[in-house]
Amino acid sequence: MSEAPGALVLVVDDEPAILRVVSAALEARGYRVATAENAEAAIHVSATDSPAVIILDLGLPDMDGIEVCRRIRQWSATPIIVLTAEGADDRKVSALDEGADDYVTKPFSMPELLARVRVALRHRSRSADADESVFEVGDLVVDLAGHEVRLADRSVELTPKEFDFLALLARHPGRVRTHRTILQEVWGPDYGTESQYLRVYASQLRKKLDDDPARPRLVTEPGVGYRLVDPAEQA
Amino acid sequence: MTTARDRGPRPLIGALVGLGLVIVLTAALVPFRADVSRAAPGLILVFAVVVAGLVGGRIAAVVTALSAALAFNLAFIPPFWTLAIDVVEDVIALAALTAVGLTVGTLVAREAEHRRAAEQRTRELQALHERYEAVQAEREQLAEEATRVAVLEQVDEQRAALLRSVSHDLRTPLSTIRAVTSDLRAGTGYDDTTRDELLDLVIDEAERLDRIVANLLSLSRIEAGALQPERQAVDLQELVADAAGRLDRLFQRVQVELDFASELPLADADYSQLDQVVTNLLENAARHSPRGSTVRVGGRLRGDGMLGVFVEDEGPGIPAGDRHHVFEPFWRGEGSSSSGVGLAICKAIVEAHGGSITVESGPGRGTAFVLTLPARHE
Repeated sequence: MSEAPGALVLVVDDEPAILRVVSAALEARGYRVATAENAEAAIHVSATDSPAVIILDLGLPDMDGIEVCRRIRQWSATPIIVLTAEGADDRKVSALDEGADDYVTKPFSMPELLARVRVALRHRSRSADADESVFEVGDLVVDLAGHEVRLADRSVELTPKEFDFLALLARHPGRVRTHRTILQEVWGPDYGTESQYLRVYASQLRKKLDDDPARPRLVTEPGVGYRLVDPAEQA
Repeated sequence: MTTARDRGPRPLIGALVGLGLVIVLTAALVPFRADVSRAAPGLILVFAVVVAGLVGGRIAAVVTALSAALAFNLAFIPPFWTLAIDVVEDVIALAALTAVGLTVGTLVAREAEHRRAAEQRTRELQALHERYEAVQAEREQLAEEATRVAVLEQVDEQRAALLRSVSHDLRTPLSTIRAVTSDLRAGTGYDDTTRDELLDLVIDEAERLDRIVANLLSLSRIEAGALQPERQAVDLQELVADAAGRLDRLFQRVQVELDFASELPLADADYSQLDQVVTNLLENAARHSPRGSTVRVGGRLRGDGMLGVFVEDEGPGIPAGDRHHVFEPFWRGEGSSSSGVGLAICKAIVEAHGGSITVESGPGRGTAFVLTLPARHE
């Protein structure tokens, strides 16, 4: 169960009850936990203790959580998972645009939060190995160097844009990419608001990847973006 | 309102009236022409010119003046019923009559024209005034409509604020409950102490949800004007101790210090409503207090015979600009996670008891809520 024994997770929330509950769950899985009740302490701890992952509530008493993301991103690449109670998509998108890696909406289930923590840690260890060019998400393999996609050892024919779209998501498995990020990285810097393109490409990709609508590989995060997951792991 | 006369001079009618008068007057005066001087019929005929000028304007006056001159010549200047004039004196008289007739007729006609123009202007002004009044009435109606719309918008805004506030308030304790229960359901292996601690948190947050729901129900009762205190004798110290006891886990990180004057009279208040006030103030104080600090709660008999109750914390305080907002429903200070409902309810309940609630605070020196309540006189 403990995939990253000893990895330090910083949990930031102004609700003591949430801090306690999340800490207990992380500690039970072998993580070390640091906590902070406000933005000032969060920034301080993330600088001094170099946590492996930061779980950050956006509604802090002393500073907007999105600003906290921006500040931490100025000097640290530590994955940040934001907790948001607002339910407002624009807050999530702003946080992701300001450098957050993922989000979980309150009220969240603990297994969901823990899964996101595992994804963040896996990504972190992977980005340390920057030369990697083959990404596997379950039985889906995306080979960037060979410009090839295989699904359960069967080759899948994709158009160049479809390939770029899928490759972007595959490079960050399990993590949401915002509409804006996808458009700018795949279509170019002049794009950013044409999310209707993405709907078309996502549906073509799902068809070519034989996605099960009930448990898709390519998951739509309404109003936010897309993420690529291993359906077997989501069970 | 508009009569035929108002439409301006009518030359034809004026000329006919003038001619008629000239004929009638001439006929009436002919029997007396031997007995009167020449000037008399001349002056009387000028009257016809005046009438024609008033009715028919300048043209009618001129026509009548010339007819009068002709009639004067025929009827009153010998030899009668011819155009011939025997004496120079009569030529001068006829010329004078003609000149006077034309001049008087023209002046009268012009005067009548001016009068008509003035009347026309008056009527136009009156019409303008009526139009103005109609526009004014319309504007007032529109203003009323705008006020009504503004009130509706305010109600909408309040409703939206209520929904935001409610969803935020409910989600916070729900987050803890869902996180713990989903975690335990997944079979996470906790030791007994941690497990009990987590379950206690679920109980605490469920009670917090219950308090939020109670606050919302009170708020709807307050807005419906159905907040009637059922007064009884209430021992304030006992009520505060009881409320603090129920919040004991919230007060694990903060100390409560009770400071009630001995022999404090009983309060004349609705127990459950007052309990809600005290619970809200205590919860508020506990949540805004730094770990290890003290919340002081006390009561005194004031000079005016009312009971004064205070709840003081050592929290960050409320900025001066925000202090008068704290009792507004759904108002929430910057970065605050408090409900925005609790203090509004406190104020409504205390005021329904004939008391008052105030806040004293400053950044960095804590916050004190002070409320007054009537004492029970038995």
